[in-house]
Amino acid sequence: MPNPITPIMQGMKITLGHLFKKPITLMYPEERPKVAERFRGLHALKVSHDKAKCVACYLCPTVCPAKCITVEAGEDANHDKYAARYEIDILRCIFCGYCVEACPVDALKMTGEFELANYRREDFVFTKERLLEKK
Amino acid sequence: MVTLTIDDKQVQVEKDATIYEAAKAAGINIPILCHDKKLKPFGACRMCLVEVEQMKGRLIPACTTPVTEGMIVRSSTPPVEKARKLVLELLLLNHPLDCPVCDKGGDCDLQNLAYDHKVNVNRLNDEKFHHVIDYNNPLIERDQNRCVLCGKCVRICDEIVSRGALTFISRGIETKIGTEFDGPLSCEFCGSCISVCPVGALLARPFKFKSRFWALQKKTSVCGYCGTGCSVTLGVKDNKVLTTVYDENQGFHNGQLCVRGRFGYQFISSDKRLKSPLIRKNGQLVEAGWDEALELVANRLKGAGASAAALATPRMTNEELVLLKQLMTQQVGSANIDHSAGYAHAALTEGLAKSFGVAAAPSSILDIQKSDLLLVIKSDAYETHPVVGFEINLAVKNKGVDLQILSDKRGKLGKLPKANTLLHKPGSEVALLNAIAKVLIDENLAGAAASVTGYAELAAGLAAFAPEQVAAQCGVSADAIKQLARTYAAAEKALIVFPVGLAYPAHTAQLAHAAANLAILAGKLGKEGSGLLVLQEKNNSQGAVDVGFVPGNGGMTAQQILDGCLSGSIKTLLVAGENPVVSYPGQSKVKDALQKVDFLVVADLFLTETAQQADVVLPVCSYAEKEGTYTATDRRVQKVTPAIPAVGQSRTEFTVYGDLIRALGGQAPTTPADAFAQIPAYAGIEYAALADDGAFAPVAVKPALVLPVAAATQVEAGKIALLTGAALYHCGTMSHYGEGTVAACPEGYLELSYADAARLQIADGVEVTVASNEGSITLQARISLRMPEGVAFAPYHFAINQVWSGAVVTSVTVSK
Ligand code: SF4
Ligand code: SF4
Ligand code: SF4
Ligand code: SF4
Ligand code: SF4
Ligand code: FES
Repeated sequence: MPNPITPIMQGMKITLGHLFKKPITLMYPEERPKVAERFRGLHALKVSHDKAKCVACYLCPTVCPAKCITVEAGEDANHDKYAARYEIDILRCIFCGYCVEACPVDALKMTGEFELANYRREDFVFTKERLLEKK
Repeated sequence: MVTLTIDDKQVQVEKDATIYEAAKAAGINIPILCHDKKLKPFGACRMCLVEVEQMKGRLIPACTTPVTEGMIVRSSTPPVEKARKLVLELLLLNHPLDCPVCDKGGDCDLQNLAYDHKVNVNRLNDEKFHHVIDYNNPLIERDQNRCVLCGKCVRICDEIVSRGALTFISRGIETKIGTEFDGPLSCEFCGSCISVCPVGALLARPFKFKSRFWALQKKTSVCGYCGTGCSVTLGVKDNKVLTTVYDENQGFHNGQLCVRGRFGYQFISSDKRLKSPLIRKNGQLVEAGWDEALELVANRLKGAGASAAALATPRMTNEELVLLKQLMTQQVGSANIDHSAGYAHAALTEGLAKSFGVAAAPSSILDIQKSDLLLVIKSDAYETHPVVGFEINLAVKNKGVDLQILSDKRGKLGKLPKANTLLHKPGSEVALLNAIAKVLIDENLAGAAASVTGYAELAAGLAAFAPEQVAAQCGVSADAIKQLARTYAAAEKALIVFPVGLAYPAHTAQLAHAAANLAILAGKLGKEGSGLLVLQEKNNSQGAVDVGFVPGNGGMTAQQILDGCLSGSIKTLLVAGENPVVSYPGQSKVKDALQKVDFLVVADLFLTETAQQADVVLPVCSYAEKEGTYTATDRRVQKVTPAIPAVGQSRTEFTVYGDLIRALGGQAPTTPADAFAQIPAYAGIEYAALADDGAFAPVAVKPALVLPVAAATQVEAGKIALLTGAALYHCGTMSHYGEGTVAACPEGYLELSYADAARLQIADGVEVTVASNEGSITLQARISLRMPEGVAFAPYHFAINQVWSGAVVTSVTVSK
């Protein structure tokens, strides 16, 4: 039978070792995490020529496994298609990134934004205005 | 039969089949792009190339090549696949890759084929097309950049619709689908071209960008407009009907629809639908709850007896009509029930009921293409029932059926190859038919009919109708009458077709007798492709007759009910879905009657002109929200099931009248199936077994010859004979709430002959005042080649009853 003290000593060794390493814990929110480049946080609608690039093709709501994207297309003065309504219910989003992958015109991306907590349910529905990429 | 081998499979097909059809029969899929089963083989795209052992050295288009005995076909060898891939690459060379914004995406043949053949890169490179996109009309967007020149639109518009609005113009790489003088599309907007376009070159504008194809739920139903009873597929998303979806395998008409069926669906999910019941309080209609409204109505109806009356629209289901009839006759105790102004169904309820012993026409729409000769009374048959019109087009053009038309004005049908139109004076149709009957008898063309009841009386009674005698009255030469009689008698199978409806006061019981006489005399009954077909106006006109929604013993007809309202004998009037203020003859009388009646209840989808006068308005459901059956004009009983839940607080009339029956202490059938079982005319049909194609209720004919009374019509000297009728773009007044139908035809108009227009110095498009003894109305003038001199036409959907009080011909003056 092994010495019952041995596992305790081994544990203490790891604990002690950490005292001399750089701490993993972040002093959030004073200290900010470094978000990886390919992190999948809150979505953003890309803007080009002062307009959202999204053409309301409905591929992202179609592919979305959580069914949390609502798109309504509109016809602009030039008879072109644009997203009159674009909403993501972030409470249901599973941050899989399929929507970004499905987009045929590269209009959607996922940002490093992860601080999504809020007080009211409505506030979790990100409308087109809120999603537009901030330059 | 021919036997051939396709992909090592033995196939037996008819000898006129093509390789494509043979393969399809064998379950082998050959890709196509320009071929359509409804159209003649064309061979424009070369997608369907196959290898044939006996024709080595080149690839053979399967869709245009007839099969031969012993043919050995291979449908997907490497050279075939390579050729198809090249075809696609060439098509995609100048094609804009618009799929993300193209409404066809997901339902696009080019997209699907490119996907199937893995065409993800193009070895060739060229400029994309930049044709100007045509946004000139409100219904059809034409983007020639996406066109693959399959020619289907051109062919369907020519072969089936017979309009010929589209054609190929220019040559080579410049080729495109063009219109008359390359101007805006001017056509009847049936949308057939959109339905067959394999790509997004032709798109329905009312549905533009509303939804992707794959997000739509496809719900089959039956068109709620006319009596043709076309099957439709509704495209539903978020409980709203957003469009109609084409299905080439649907119904006898292979998915063909007219402008109303295809583009007039918006009334279903319209914002103008009534949101809740309305009750008049202090002179104002205010929103109220169902309980309050129903209690009020029930209290009024309780014990009302013969002082109550009901007018119903034949757009209600059979089951709803059964319930309303039970409510009125059993719980309320009134036989005063009627529909369609009391005369639009008379051709059946009085005419054929006597001539054939049954209030239904014996022939079906399917007989049209099987006939040898069609005798169409009134060219308007095309406008009233456009999909029946397509059948006539096909019969005449593909089957060589002889088309004879008796009409008071020319029409589209008369332009068909070899069609013969006998133009007669307005209102003389019965005299004309009598003269034909007289010829049949006199020339012994009616041998077998001598034993039919009433033959002697008829023969004697027709003495006054010798062709020479009626020629002047009808404006048709005696020779032409005789000729028509002989042609009709000589045809092996001959079918008489005429429309009835609110707008056709001349098409009464007498006309039905006169037409039935011809069929009986010439022995045209009881044969396939032969007989008589009455085109009824609304989608359930035949059903309303079969259910017996007509005055019972001692009951009042619709006109008598209105008179009763005026005289005070009718105190409570229930109007279910009808809009008499706009559609019944004599607007001032109708308005007075509705004003006078003590208590007016209107059940409708909208706050119509009639509902605005009501004391209680009940919001009810459209056909897309209910379960039940409709009976098409040829007694085809078809079932509908809800495509969407009831809009707002509206309820089906089945529920409403059921509740009223129970409130008055009666017992109502609880399901549509129970109500259906109570209709004797459909005894042989099982409700639960009704499938997509419906079932025909039998029509057992007991022929009798009846002498028709030909009433003389007189036009006052110096005045113009105004005829009412239906416009192609509308059906009744419900189509006023369909944006598509309104976009195609927003307002009433007056069609005038060139001669009259010149005499009155009226230019096309100006506003004219039309005045009769009844009143006057302002309409836009349309000068048209189809009107004979002295005759004018105005569609009845737009309150033409301000000048028309139900006469067959109204004498009017037209002034600027
Ligand atoms: S990340 Fe995934 S779940 Fe979230 S919106 Fe995109 S597709 Fe939907
Ligand atoms: S027609 Fe078809 S292939 Fe062309 S853009 Fe539209 S969906 Fe794409
Ligand atoms: S809508 Fe009908 S009539 Fe008009 S072009 Fe198309 S097929 Fe022809
Ligand atoms: S418009 Fe459509 S149907 Fe007509 S030729 Fe072009 S692709 Fe074919
Ligand atoms: S012909 Fe009649 S039933 Fe058919 S689509 Fe047109 S309106 Fe509807
Ligand atoms: S489908 Fe055969 S050539 Fe087009």
